[in-house]
Amino acid sequence: MKPGNLTRIITILAILFFYLPIIVVIVFSFNSSKSPEWTGFSLRWYYQLFTSSGYIWRTFLNSIIVGVSSSIVSVVLGTLGAISVYLGSKKFRKVMWTTTYIPFTIPDIIIGVSLLIFFTTLNVRLSLFTIFIAHVTFSMPYTMMIVLTRLHDFDKSIIEAAYDLGATKSVALRKVIVPVAMPGIIAAFFMAFTLSIDDFVITFFVAGPSSTTLPLQIFSMVRFGISPVINAISTLLLLGTIFMSVALRRYVRYII
Amino acid sequence: MTLKRKRSEVLSSGSGYEKYGSTYLIWLVIFFVIPVLVILAYSFLTRDYQGGIILKFSIQGYKDIFNLNYLTVFIRTVIISFISAAICILIAVPVSYYIVYSKFKNFLLLLVIIPFWTNSLIRIYAWIFILGNNGLINQLLLNLGIVNSYVKFIYNNAAVLLILVYTYLPFAILPLFSSIERLEKQLFEAAMDLGCTKRQVFFRVLLPNIKQGIVSAFVFVFIPALGTYAVPELVGGKNSRLIGNEIARQLTIARNWPAAAAISSILLILTIIAVIVFIYGGEKRETR
Amino acid sequence: MPGSSVSIIEVDKYFGDFHVLKNVSLEIEENEFFSLLGPSGCGKTTLLRIIAGLEDVDDGDVLLDDKSILNLPPNKRPVNTIFQNYALFPHLSVYENIAFPLRLKKFSESEIKRRVDWLLNLVRLEEHAQKKPSQLSGGQKQRVSLARALANEPKVLLLDEPVSALDAKLRQELLIELDNLHDRVGITFIYVTHDQAEAISISDHVAVMNSGVVVQYGTPYEVYESPADTFVANFIGESNLMKGDVVEILSDEYIAVEFPSFGKVICYRDKPVKVDDTVLITLRPEKVRIMHNKPTPSDGIPGNVVHGIVDEVIYMGYQTKYFIKTDEGYILKVYKQHVSYLLDERIIKWKDEVFLYWNPDDSFIVEVEEN
Repeated sequence: MKPGNLTRIITILAILFFYLPIIVVIVFSFNSSKSPEWTGFSLRWYYQLFTSSGYIWRTFLNSIIVGVSSSIVSVVLGTLGAISVYLGSKKFRKVMWTTTYIPFTIPDIIIGVSLLIFFTTLNVRLSLFTIFIAHVTFSMPYTMMIVLTRLHDFDKSIIEAAYDLGATKSVALRKVIVPVAMPGIIAAFFMAFTLSIDDFVITFFVAGPSSTTLPLQIFSMVRFGISPVINAISTLLLLGTIFMSVALRRYVRYII
Repeated sequence: MTLKRKRSEVLSSGSGYEKYGSTYLIWLVIFFVIPVLVILAYSFLTRDYQGGIILKFSIQGYKDIFNLNYLTVFIRTVIISFISAAICILIAVPVSYYIVYSKFKNFLLLLVIIPFWTNSLIRIYAWIFILGNNGLINQLLLNLGIVNSYVKFIYNNAAVLLILVYTYLPFAILPLFSSIERLEKQLFEAAMDLGCTKRQVFFRVLLPNIKQGIVSAFVFVFIPALGTYAVPELVGGKNSRLIGNEIARQLTIARNWPAAAAISSILLILTIIAVIVFIYGGEKRETR
Repeated sequence: MPGSSVSIIEVDKYFGDFHVLKNVSLEIEENEFFSLLGPSGCGKTTLLRIIAGLEDVDDGDVLLDDKSILNLPPNKRPVNTIFQNYALFPHLSVYENIAFPLRLKKFSESEIKRRVDWLLNLVRLEEHAQKKPSQLSGGQKQRVSLARALANEPKVLLLDEPVSALDAKLRQELLIELDNLHDRVGITFIYVTHDQAEAISISDHVAVMNSGVVVQYGTPYEVYESPADTFVANFIGESNLMKGDVVEILSDEYIAVEFPSFGKVICYRDKPVKVDDTVLITLRPEKVRIMHNKPTPSDGIPGNVVHGIVDEVIYMGYQTKYFIKTDEGYILKVYKQHVSYLLDERIIKWKDEVFLYWNPDDSFIVEVEEN
């Protein structure tokens, strides 16, 4: 039994819808002219991006710094949170669920605005640090859920078995729970990193004048109009995304 | 003796594992729960014209936004979000149904995941590059002499809708994919066996059994769309400002923080209503 | 509702490079209870799905009452299936599950009610009509799927391992119920199973399949008592399989076979053999009698007698399984049914010296290698 032909046609159209615009952007990143009419193959926009666009690379570096640091913290806290939900008491589980669900269901912009107001009220200067705090905050519920989904694939009896065989709590944590959760932890890390690298709205509110990230930079460039340099950046970022999607495809089921 | 004590200690439920989650919980309380409460509080305080607030109760923030202009923005936001979520569902149900039973399931799934992971600004830019005033299609039309000056394809509500669907479609496909994948294939075979045509299988067996998946896919699009900022900012026109743009404008240009907080509070309430209506209003969600 | 006959004609089926069904032909009579029996992966479920229309054939034909049904989609075939894990629609109540095919046919509400009530009564689920499938036990779900499949009044009912997900006791009950149901509705049942006991207990005919081939077709009695080859002998019930050389043709009916494992015995000659052929002989463990004293002709049977030592005893309640090591070191299985109270007998214990004997008719040839 196969779904009918209509679903096949819709699927093909949807895939074209996803990819045609992206492909056009990639093709025109190799265009020799500045306007969107094909005049010949050229790498000049990549050349420009790599040689005379230092400010873009600084924002990229900022994104990497925030991405790596916030993902590490987010994954550590999220994993510990997942373990506590997996093994903790029912009452505690409920509290954790509620606290995790609410950020999931609230639009990003509210998280951004509320953190901006919160930081300003406390006179915290907006900087990479405030971005870091914000990114940990919005990615932690994801990392927790991903690790928890992984843990739920296993029966709790494996931990009881570890105790039965003489493991102490910390040994059970290090030798059983963490290794079992590892694929989930890896997936969670990349999820957090991607969320951080891609985030625009929340960062937009909590970034200071000297802490521009790559998405903020792209935003202001896009607002200014089309430019082959943006096509070149897009192509490079897409390459990274495709590479990561392929490398992480087996972890996908922890994300959806 | 000690071993015995340890065993009973570790095996009883709620045996100290809560402390592992405490940092997580405290972090979310400080950086999420409290700031959201602060917003609610700010919406009832007095405006400081330098930005920020004066600690004095006032409902001026709500008064400032209690006018036709803002009402239109709110209604427009809800309508555009609703339509884009509905379009996403209409596309995502057949697509995920097809992918689940396709020979190339893993590859097609990857094709959906890549846009899911792709930076949304790039995806918005792709459309500006194609449809923008100086974009590909306008350039083509001008070069071919079909038009004399550029055609305004974007900077209107239709463009906002198109790009919201483009941005959030993967968010609708992925949850639907997993809820269809969970269904037993034999259900469809049984339906065919009992006399269903393919059409009837789709409407009588598939749809009723993925109601929950449809609801969550809808929410996954509808709620982020309610709070969208970049899309209308980049491809919307004068008449396509949404709640997100108004919040940012009040914060950064008008410097009316109580008003920004008031809009945010209303958005928050809209979100909560949406969650209650769609998730808790439907069948009761199973908790793990 | 009368059933149909089904003819499978030289059907071939491939999954990629895997040849699942190899030129399979079968005749299934109208209104009979027919079983397809075989280990998992033998192609029996694929064959069932081909009859249902859920799989295509690569070659061959499937006839229903002598008319080909291959170009009919599953929803147009007068054939319905009981799926292994029931495939009840989780969003519909028991009543609505059974009404499902009737609604597709746009029957009036009163007609639907009349038919569903009749079916609910047939499977004794009247009081569960409004429950959702998730509230039912395994056996109840199975009965709902039966009622639902019968709602269309099919000519043929296909059953794909319908009781395999249930526990042993419930399985027995449902088998008896299925048998009764078959008698009441009087249509053709095609039953797929890997459990030989199920198949031979309720079928009119059985086809034993192995690696995509029908290796034997017959009544349950024929299949059990004269297995066509080693596979069938092993798969249906249990047997001792012994390899030996034909040393003498005693008559049209009997031969003497010399076994390296326990000497010369007399076997039934059910296949043409000549002296010096190597033969594979099967002997059902329950056909062998076991006793402490060497039997004399006055014990009734001028049969084969073998001496050995009890190597293992497995007490099963209704019977005891003995593994007897012959003087030459061969292990022979002997199952003794407990017909009278155990204490009346002198109990045979581990390490006891025993004599086995059996009627030559019960040891017969399954395979011949000519020399």
